[in-house]
Amino acid sequence: MEIKTRDENDIKVIYLEGEMDTNTSPEVLSELDNLRNNGVKKMLLNLEKLDFISSAGLRVLLATAQQLKASGGDFRVCQLNKEIKEVFDISGFSTLLMVFDNETKGISGM
Amino acid sequence: MTEQRKKILIVDDERLNINVLHDLLKEDYKTMAAISGKQALKAAESDNPPDLILLDIMMPEMDGYEVCETLKSNDKTKDIPIIFVTAMGQTSDETKGLEYGAVDYLTKPVSGPIVHARVKTHLELKRQRDELKSAYRVIESQKERMEDELLVGREIQMSMVPQEFPPFPDRHEFRLHAKLFPAREVGGDFYDYFLIDEDCLCLCIGDVSGKGVPAALFMAVTRTLIKARATEDRSTASIITRVNDELARDNKKFMFVTLFLALVEISTGRVTYTNAGHNPTILRRKSGDVELLDAFHGPVVAASPELAFKEDTIFLEAGDMLVMYTDGVTDTRNVEKEFFSQARLEKLVSNSDTNEAEQIVEGIFSEVKAFEGEAEQFDDITLMALSLKTDTTTGRIDEFSITLENQLSEITNANLKFNEFVEKHSLTIELRRQFNLVIDELLNNIISYAYEDDEAHQIDVSGALYENQFILRIRDDGIPFNPFIGPAPELADSLEDQAIGGLGIHLVKNLMDQAIYRREINQNLVTLIKKLQ
Repeated sequence: MEIKTRDENDIKVIYLEGEMDTNTSPEVLSELDNLRNNGVKKMLLNLEKLDFISSAGLRVLLATAQQLKASGGDFRVCQLNKEIKEVFDISGFSTLLMVFDNETKGISGM
Repeated sequence: MTEQRKKILIVDDERLNINVLHDLLKEDYKTMAAISGKQALKAAESDNPPDLILLDIMMPEMDGYEVCETLKSNDKTKDIPIIFVTAMGQTSDETKGLEYGAVDYLTKPVSGPIVHARVKTHLELKRQRDELKSAYRVIESQKERMEDELLVGREIQMSMVPQEFPPFPDRHEFRLHAKLFPAREVGGDFYDYFLIDEDCLCLCIGDVSGKGVPAALFMAVTRTLIKARATEDRSTASIITRVNDELARDNKKFMFVTLFLALVEISTGRVTYTNAGHNPTILRRKSGDVELLDAFHGPVVAASPELAFKEDTIFLEAGDMLVMYTDGVTDTRNVEKEFFSQARLEKLVSNSDTNEAEQIVEGIFSEVKAFEGEAEQFDDITLMALSLKTDTTTGRIDEFSITLENQLSEITNANLKFNEFVEKHSLTIELRRQFNLVIDELLNNIISYAYEDDEAHQIDVSGALYENQFILRIRDDGIPFNPFIGPAPELADSLEDQAIGGLGIHLVKNLMDQAIYRREINQNLVTLIKKLQ
C-alpha cells in the first residue's frame, strides 16, 4: 500500500495505491488518523490507482468520513476505477460517500 | 527514589584479589564474594542473584571455565553477564573465555577506570536486553490474547449459523443448503434461515466488517433484530430499514454489515427480497439461464441511520434456484493473484447440470477451493442456495390484473375481468364459479370493513395461470386484517351479519387449496391457490 499526499489550499489530496485489504487497511487508517490529528479537516481521496478494496478498507473510509463530518470537515473520494466503482456500487458506498469523477470536480466547492 | 544498587559477584580463590575489586566497586555497587567455583554457583542460583559476575579463571577444584559453562547451561543463571578476570594476559585464554559465553575479560592487575567502564557497559547492555525481553513478552501475550479473541469471535460466529442439513427434512417443496468455511483469522460472514410460518421462509446472508468478538457480537445483534422483525413484518424493505436504524444508532466502532434478505412464499414461489450492499444473488432458472438480482435497494446496513431501503419481487418456479454468497467466493485468489470473480461464478452456476441446492453449494465450494490451490484463504467463504421442487409452481402461462375502487358495485367488474380470462384459456366452469364466489366474498369483506375513513381506496386484483395451478391475489390498503383467523375486528352490529361473514371465509378456505394472508407495507395481501387437474 502506498500513500502519497499533496496540499491544495486547506484540502489534503490523498493518493492511495495498491490493495486495501484486511492487512493493509490499518496502515491507511493510521495515516488518515495522523492527518486528522494534525488538523486536516478536508480530505479528497484519489482512488485511481487503488486496485482492490475489501470491507475492511470501506470501514476505514466510513470511519474517517464520519469523524470528519462530526468535526465540521469534509471527506470526498474521486477517480474511482472500474473495480473500485463496482464495489462502491454494490456496497452502496456510492451513495454514502461523496464521489466525484476527478480531482477538479472533487475539489470544487470544498 | 534512587534506583536499587546493582549487585556484583566477585569470584576468586585469593582473598586479596577480592578485596582489590571490592574496594574499586563498593562506592557504586553492592558486592558479594565467593572464594570457590562451588560458592559462586550457589550464589548465582540463589533467590538473590547477582547482576554481573567477575570470574577468576585459575581456581582449584573448579576453574572459571567450568563455572562459566555451568552457569550458561542453567536457564536460571544463563543471562547473568560474566566478565573473566585473568592473570595470564594471553589472547588464547581470553578467546577461550569468550567462547564459554563470557561477555568480556579483564587482565590482572586490574585498573580502576577499566573495571568501572566494563562493568557499567555490561550492566547497561544487560538492562537493555532485559527490557527487550519483557517487551517481547508483552507482545507475545498481546498476540496470544488477540488470537484468543479471534478464536472466541469465531466460536460465536460458528455457533450462530444453523448447520443441520437438510434443515427442514419433512418439507419436500424446497431444498435448502448452506456452507460457511471460515478463513484462519479474518471474516464476519453469516447466514440464517427460518420458517416464519408454514408457507413463509426467511433467508438471510451477510458479511460483517471487522473481526473478533466485536464483529461476532454485531453479527448476533443483526441476526436477532432481523428475526424479531421478520415475524411481524412481511416486507424485507421495512425489516432492513428498521434494523438499519437500530444498528446505526450509537455505532461507535463504525461497523457495518452487507445483507441480502429474502422472504419466500413457498406455495407460490413468490420471493420478496432486499439487497443492502451485498453481492447480487444469482437466480438460476430451470433452463440454466442465469439472472442477477442486482437491483440496488440501499447501502450496507448500520453505516448511516434513517435510510429507506427498497425491495423487489420475483417468482420462482419448480426447478429454479437462488444462489446466495459472500464476497469471499468472488474475491478468492489463486497463487497468481487472480480473482475467482463474479463472471466465473455466474458461468459455473449456469453451466452446472444440477438444480439441487446441496449440489450447487458443494460444487461451487470445491471449484473455489480448487481455484485457490496453494494460496492462503483470505476471507470467509459462504454459500447458500434454495431450490424449488417439482411439486411447487411450474410453467407460468398468463396473467391478468384489475384495479378497483372500494365500491361494492366494482365487484362485478372484477368478476367480469376474471371470466374473460377463464374463457381465453378455456378453464372449467367449476373453477370460474369457485373463484367468482371467492372474489365476491373477499372484496365484500374488504370494501365493507377494511376502511376507517370515507376516502376512495384502490384494491388490486390479479391472477396468474400456471400449468398446474391458478393463483389469485387481492391487495388492499385497509387496516391490518387477517380474514383467515378469528373474527373481524370491526364487524357489523348485528349477530346475523357476523355469522354470514364467517361463513363466507369458511367457504373460501374450503374451495381453495391454500388461502394465505400477509401484511405488507401498509397493505393486506391475500393469496389464493387452486391446483389444476
